[in-house]
Amino acid sequence: MSDARDAVAKNRHTYELEETGFNEVPKKWRKFYRYWEGVGDVLAPNEVVCPVCKVVIRSKRELRPGDKVYCMPCMSRMVVVKAADGSLEAEVIF
Amino acid sequence: MVIADDDDFDPHLLEEDDFVEEVQSFEFWFGAVEGYLVDRPYGRSPDTPDPELDDTRRDRLITTLCNYCVGETAALEGASGLVRLAPNHHAKVFMATQVVDEARHLEVFLRRLTDLGVVDTATEIQKRANPALLDFKSSLLELVDAGEWDAAVFAQNVILESMEFTVFRSHAENADPVTAEVLQGVISDERRHFGFGENDLGRRMADDPSRRPRLQEVKEQLDRIVLSVFEGALDDLDVPVADRPRLGQEYLETVERLGLT
Repeated sequence: MSDARDAVAKNRHTYELEETGFNEVPKKWRKFYRYWEGVGDVLAPNEVVCPVCKVVIRSKRELRPGDKVYCMPCMSRMVVVKAADGSLEAEVIF
Repeated sequence: MVIADDDDFDPHLLEEDDFVEEVQSFEFWFGAVEGYLVDRPYGRSPDTPDPELDDTRRDRLITTLCNYCVGETAALEGASGLVRLAPNHHAKVFMATQVVDEARHLEVFLRRLTDLGVVDTATEIQKRANPALLDFKSSLLELVDAGEWDAAVFAQNVILESMEFTVFRSHAENADPVTAEVLQGVISDERRHFGFGENDLGRRMADDPSRRPRLQEVKEQLDRIVLSVFEGALDDLDVPVADRPRLGQEYLETVERLGLT
């Protein structure tokens, strides 16, 4: 792991990701995404919903405002922001 | 860049150019469709039950599938023309994957029509096609023929694909098991198509804002047709009027993100 990534990891909660049945990207990327289950589904601190295709994007580390994440299923790039209610959401960047 | 295949690798740490190259590649496409199409000839598992539909439901489904075939033919012809217009190699490769997807969609819907007892699919499609959808197809192909990449991608990958994504998802919730399974495979493809459209156009307008007025003009020209197509599709699916504004919301959110409202 690089020094930069090591430093980031030390300050944040990290997660071991496992596949959850999402099958719309090549196998090596599947654990980084999951289907949004609708009402009752709760996002973990390492997850945000893609505003374009509504897939849940997952990270190996706790997400914070300013983090950049990618939605491979719909090819979108986004930045994590804090919503008015304090939750995290993703905004598409072009 | 060669992307490492180790457990420590995080896609969110990719450089932007490497991400675009990866997701617009044929390699990515192969790995993606393998996940949801393997062992599903013509988009359906051989074990999926296929109960006989009553005459009314069967007739409505045939009309719906005929119009899906019109939409997929429009996208197939549009995407194939756009391969030549694509402004860079990655976009050309991506558009070629979309051509394959659209041809497969047309094939699986034709196959489903045959399953339902339609003998002459071409005649049936011609008979049942929504005139507004045919208008939309003509408009799209005119933009392609005129060599307008931005406008044609907007019409095809943003408008048409968003509309299909919404209609197909709504339909899959209430469809018979085989049609629902076929639709799920198509929906998975549509994520790539409308995502490409929004991101390609968003990036190009960020680089050159003078592209925006032409897209606003195309949107205004097509809005009336799109509304009519959307209403026709939802009528065929018997979607309650009260639910329709919610279904159109995703398209409106897309044009808002692109600054085209």
